[in-house]
Amino acid sequence: MTEFIATNFNLPTIIVAALVFGALGWVVWHTHKHGGGCSCGGDCSHCKGCH
Amino acid sequence: MSIKIALAGNPNCGKTTLFNNLTGSNQYVGNWPGVTVEKKEGKLKGDKDVIIQDLPGIYSLSPYTLEEVVSRTYLVKEKPDAILNIIDGTNIERNLYLTTQLIELGIPVVMAVNMIDLVRKNGDKIDLKKLSAELGCQAVEISALKGEGTEAAAKAAVAAAKAGKTGELPHVFTGSVEHAIAHIEESIQGKVDDRFLRWYAVKLFERDDKVLEELKLDKALVDHIDEHIQDCEKEMDDDAESIITNQRYAYINTVVGKAVKKKARVEHLTVSDKIDRIVTNRVLALPIFAVVMYLMYSLSMGTSIADGGWAIGTFATDWTNDVLFGEIVPNALGGFLESIGVAGWLYGLIMDGIVAGVGAVLGFVPQMLVLFFLLSILEDVGYMSRVAFIMDRIFRKFGLSGKSFIPVLVGTGCGVPGVMASRTIENERDRRMTIMTTCFIPCGAKMPIIGLIAGALFGGSSLVAVSAYFIGMAAIICSGIMLKKTKLFAGDPAPFVMELPAYHVPAWGNVLRATWERGWSFIKRAGSVILLATVVLWFMQGFGFENGAFGMVEDQDNSVLAAIATKVAWIFAPLGFGNWRATVASVSGLIAKENVVGTFGVLYHFGGELSENGDEIWAAVAKDYTALSAYAFMIFNLLCAPCFAAMGAIKREMNNGKWTAIAIGYMCALAYCAALVVYQLGGLITGEVHFGLFTVVAVVVLAAFIYLMVRPNKYANNNEVKLDTSRI
Repeated sequence: MTEFIATNFNLPTIIVAALVFGALGWVVWHTHKHGGGCSCGGDCSHCKGCH
Repeated sequence: MSIKIALAGNPNCGKTTLFNNLTGSNQYVGNWPGVTVEKKEGKLKGDKDVIIQDLPGIYSLSPYTLEEVVSRTYLVKEKPDAILNIIDGTNIERNLYLTTQLIELGIPVVMAVNMIDLVRKNGDKIDLKKLSAELGCQAVEISALKGEGTEAAAKAAVAAAKAGKTGELPHVFTGSVEHAIAHIEESIQGKVDDRFLRWYAVKLFERDDKVLEELKLDKALVDHIDEHIQDCEKEMDDDAESIITNQRYAYINTVVGKAVKKKARVEHLTVSDKIDRIVTNRVLALPIFAVVMYLMYSLSMGTSIADGGWAIGTFATDWTNDVLFGEIVPNALGGFLESIGVAGWLYGLIMDGIVAGVGAVLGFVPQMLVLFFLLSILEDVGYMSRVAFIMDRIFRKFGLSGKSFIPVLVGTGCGVPGVMASRTIENERDRRMTIMTTCFIPCGAKMPIIGLIAGALFGGSSLVAVSAYFIGMAAIICSGIMLKKTKLFAGDPAPFVMELPAYHVPAWGNVLRATWERGWSFIKRAGSVILLATVVLWFMQGFGFENGAFGMVEDQDNSVLAAIATKVAWIFAPLGFGNWRATVASVSGLIAKENVVGTFGVLYHFGGELSENGDEIWAAVAKDYTALSAYAFMIFNLLCAPCFAAMGAIKREMNNGKWTAIAIGYMCALAYCAALVVYQLGGLITGEVHFGLFTVVAVVVLAAFIYLMVRPNKYANNNEVKLDTSRI
């Protein structure tokens, strides 16, 4: 078990994984909020926009 | 406190050129809420407190088109501080029609007479002082293309906004019409903002549906107003809307008579007319069009310049795939990850999932940019409107109009801008039908699928690609014929009335900006969806139950993906490819169509880098498919639901969940039926299929298809006009 964790969840892995999944999470949030992805309904009336 | 200036004018008057000139890169492009009309807003260069709102090009403020409704709703509800009305100086009478409506809004208006260089070249003279005096608002001359006078126009608009005063309203209407409008103004005083009193009164006189709906006046008042209108109609022997239109034009004629001196001209063909005599010629139009398209696709997607061809797009794409994402990024990023000792699963996720996924999208971008660039040139020059005109005669026979052809044409590069191009079609029915059928034409991403099937089963025959385009066009035309006979889409295609702008040298700023906007929009959309979906796919094909435990699998047949796909693969058995790999590949094609080839590569255990058409795995694929089942697989993937990015575009353009579902469902159904008929009936001929239940189903499907194509159209008389000749 310890060896499994040491191999698959060492410090560099945790740091890089945090960055990768954080970025993916941001992409999900940004796509949902600002539209443009496939799940967006195309209705921009709820969005204050970025201007 | 920021100032809002609205840019209003006819289509092709130079609004966008002026907008780009005034705002530079400080622009935001989106959609007006709830509709698919593009919304452009930007900050004035040199004064960030001034916001320039580019309104859609409109001929009037009537309630008939989306663009008109969007513009007038903005002007009345948002109440910009000033309106900068761009007028095409070479076509001043038609452009002033909108001006007479804008000045009734009670918002300060500044007229910018554009194309003044052409006016001078024609020898005409426009007296700005007289024009200004007649219409009660300042007039300036500009040439947006040359950048002449644009700063002065902006300054004038800002000054008008700050002053907040409007000039004296000109006497556009006369006699009983003015009398009736004055009565209506009195009747609605207090019910609307005083600034807009005149505008509302005129709209009520025209019996504008949207205004009546908005004001919710009580019935007694509406009847009282209607009495005044009817008196006027009796006196003038015409309907209210026509009376207003006629009086506006009569007024405009007097204004033009006083303020514009036109040089006496011998009637001759303009340069645009001379070009159009050839370009839209009954005989030459289509061959010329074919040559232009061939050149466009050769330059963007043809043989790479490295291989002796012309295609800059292919060269750039090959470099992006082979060098950037084939060597530079994998070596740099992979090397870095290895050096810091990142775990194998994360290394696989990043390199085989994210980099591969993002690389597939970004590899596409150079070709798309070249294609968008060339399309933008054709649009800016004025040729694309001629294309719609040329194709209208042919498309009309199949229940579509020429405007439906442009999305199909754009869709041969990528379905996303193809679907978006449908927003130029005003008729809602036609637009929906175009959105539903645009993606049938093979896009660039479907090329690898065609290449794989052609290479693995047909000896690389180019006839496979030709047949793929033929099938796509046939699907569009047959869909048009069938759908037009249904209640949802019945009716003649909308009359095709389109302005053909004069040809001109492309404005490179506009072309580059349009190219960038489309390209960036494509990257953002496709990159976010494909990136996320690729990560999910990577997990599903890399993890599963193996040797009784859940974890990363050695054999992909044990993966979660294989387990799920095997359970649904039977759906495709009647089509000839009921194995789990084909199912997974087809589903992965929903992410991006070129993923079909990449997925095959992974699933046939090819560990290296696949070329564009996957020739490394041809031998393996050939073992699992016959020529017929492979062709059926190709047909299914070409016609079925497009990639997520295109589906997202469909959802945005349909602006309605139900219609999106209908569109996707229709595409899937058509794809399934087409592949079923090809495999079952073809298989009877080749002997690889025995007569059975699904053969009968295929025969029934084919019979139903033929019936739907040839049955009489019971809605054909929907648009019949009945004339009462006794009144003539």
